Amino acid sequence: MSASVANTRQRTAMSIRRLLGNGTLIVAAIYALLFVIFALRQADALSRNSIVDLFNNALPLALAAAGGTLVVLTRGFDLSVAGVVALSNVLMATVVGDGPAGALEGLAMVTGIGLLVGAVNGVLVAYVRLQSIASTLATMIVTSGLALLVLDAPGGNVPDFVADTLTDVVAGGIPVAAVIALAVVLAWLVLRRTDWGVALYAVGADETAAGLAGIPTRRVMFLAYCLAGVFYALSGYMLSALTATGNPNAGNSYLLLTFAAIAIGGTSFSGGRGDVVGAMLGAATLTLLQKVLFSAGVSSFYTGIFQGIVMILAVLVAALSDRIASGRRA
Amino acid sequence: MSGQDRRAGGRRGISGDVWNALALFGLTALLILGSRWISPGFGGWSQAKAILVLSSFVVVVAFGQQLVILTGGLDLSIASVMTMGGVLAFTFIGASSPALLWGVPGVLLLTAAIGALNGIGVVWLRVPPFIMTLAMGIIVYGATLGLTGGTPRGQPSPLLSALFTADLAGVPLVIYLISVLAVLGTLLQRGTGFGRRLYAVGTNPAAAHIAGLPVRRITMMTYVISGASAGLAGVLMVGYAGGATLTMGQSYQLPSIAAVVVGGTSILGGSGLYLGAVGGALLLTTFSTVIASIGIAEGWRTVIYGIVILLALLLLREELYVWVGRLAARPGGIPPRSTPSTAMTGGNK
Repeated sequence: MSASVANTRQRTAMSIRRLLGNGTLIVAAIYALLFVIFALRQADALSRNSIVDLFNNALPLALAAAGGTLVVLTRGFDLSVAGVVALSNVLMATVVGDGPAGALEGLAMVTGIGLLVGAVNGVLVAYVRLQSIASTLATMIVTSGLALLVLDAPGGNVPDFVADTLTDVVAGGIPVAAVIALAVVLAWLVLRRTDWGVALYAVGADETAAGLAGIPTRRVMFLAYCLAGVFYALSGYMLSALTATGNPNAGNSYLLLTFAAIAIGGTSFSGGRGDVVGAMLGAATLTLLQKVLFSAGVSSFYTGIFQGIVMILAVLVAALSDRIASGRRA
Repeated sequence: MSGQDRRAGGRRGISGDVWNALALFGLTALLILGSRWISPGFGGWSQAKAILVLSSFVVVVAFGQQLVILTGGLDLSIASVMTMGGVLAFTFIGASSPALLWGVPGVLLLTAAIGALNGIGVVWLRVPPFIMTLAMGIIVYGATLGLTGGTPRGQPSPLLSALFTADLAGVPLVIYLISVLAVLGTLLQRGTGFGRRLYAVGTNPAAAHIAGLPVRRITMMTYVISGASAGLAGVLMVGYAGGATLTMGQSYQLPSIAAVVVGGTSILGGSGLYLGAVGGALLLTTFSTVIASIGIAEGWRTVIYGIVILLALLLLREELYVWVGRLAARPGGIPPRSTPSTAMTGGNK
């Protein structure tokens, strides 16, 4: 009997360790904590408008972070996010027509561009074997330049149909943004179990070993960059719906915040460990943090200080919990 | 210097790096001469001077950035640190010349301390450099923004401005400054024990640790130097622009990395020369100056800039293959005893 008690206790300890080792749960806990603070400070925090706002504000960054995570999982860095977000945004604000047809046309156009930029990154990194930071730096600069060519100063108008529909609610109160986020999460849960998804982690953990095990490492990496490009384009699309206007510099703040979200989401920058859902929650946490600071009366000047500190803390907590989780092995 | 390198036998990789740097200088010169076709006012000494002055900020920032990259890291905080350095100089030194005596070292100490925080995060807390410096950049920017309340107030320093306006033998003072820095920086990398250890740490930190090198202290030092060099660039910017803005450092983050990478430094660490990064900074600055003068839209300029970086990367890769092939073909290794003796003679020179 005492043996079984010890056994149960051991099993509990193990599952606690496994939970702690899961970055997604840690960031979910951080988010919950922030939300409680927010709800206590802000009277209307639980109103429908406020919740719809939270989803709408977080989704563009969450999509960008989801894409970036795919590349970080392969131990790469993709800086092109800034350029692709800006390019999608200015295109949505200038050349897209109104109505459902215009919205679909715009969606096809920006995802096509995102795919193209991702494919260029993928070829450069996976096949030409250039360093990912350097080559995506170049594609980022090129796409930012293209964004400036489309629209050289903030302006333009995103079609009302896109701006209204995507920031609205459906089925009596569910934000469209939440539906999209859920769709991405479900798609990822499926993708993660495909051959490609498994290979993605294997390539990031040890490319040579993955290659020896018969994984087509180059194709896996190439696809990661392609899909990341599509996510950045979707991020720009949602950002356009949110801001309803174009800005060739819209992507600048995304460069920092995307990587911040990925880090807070518990994805390891040495590859092979992490999760898209965590990064999306990380993006939501950063967005909520801004609101909490605002409601606490902290000058918006100082928001950056808290974002930076949360970023470092998230990485430290992840590393610490990882050490506890792997404590059994040590 | 180069004769000794050749005698040292095993260190021919140095001349590869030096050739690379000279090629970048040559390309810069060709580009300046070639710009005569764009406008008759171009291609002369005065344009070359203007480009050298403009490139001085990237040259200074790239020094620290390159040291960090050599150890396999990356410093993404330099834009904010540079802004902070500039804003502090503008606010606290102002027009007073005596204040420069304590003000400049003060700014450098403070920015070096920020670099030290980066180093502590990377080395002891094991936060990935990318995240640590990114977060530090956001924090420093927030602090600068908060301290100034959104608008930096201060006065330009006439002495700092003199660096750019006054000249000696027809050459602006700041050009002497970056020339000295280029020589000293390259000597630090190739002629001192610190420099040699730096490459060892960058090539293989585990091996360097086993060999008894103070890996942590060396890595830490690179971040400290990077912070200080970003601070110095900020101070110089105040002299050049006669003021400070909260965005003054922003446009230097990516060029600082691009100059280092175009200059032939591997982003994975362990190989590269400061002279190359200086060449990269000059080439990129010349390029953007020349494109700016063609009178095309900013968008096209940016696109061309990106394509040039890409081309440089692709070309350097070929060069790397040739270089690796040459290294592999060379018989014999480095005689272990010869390294300290060359270090001593190099140091005495």
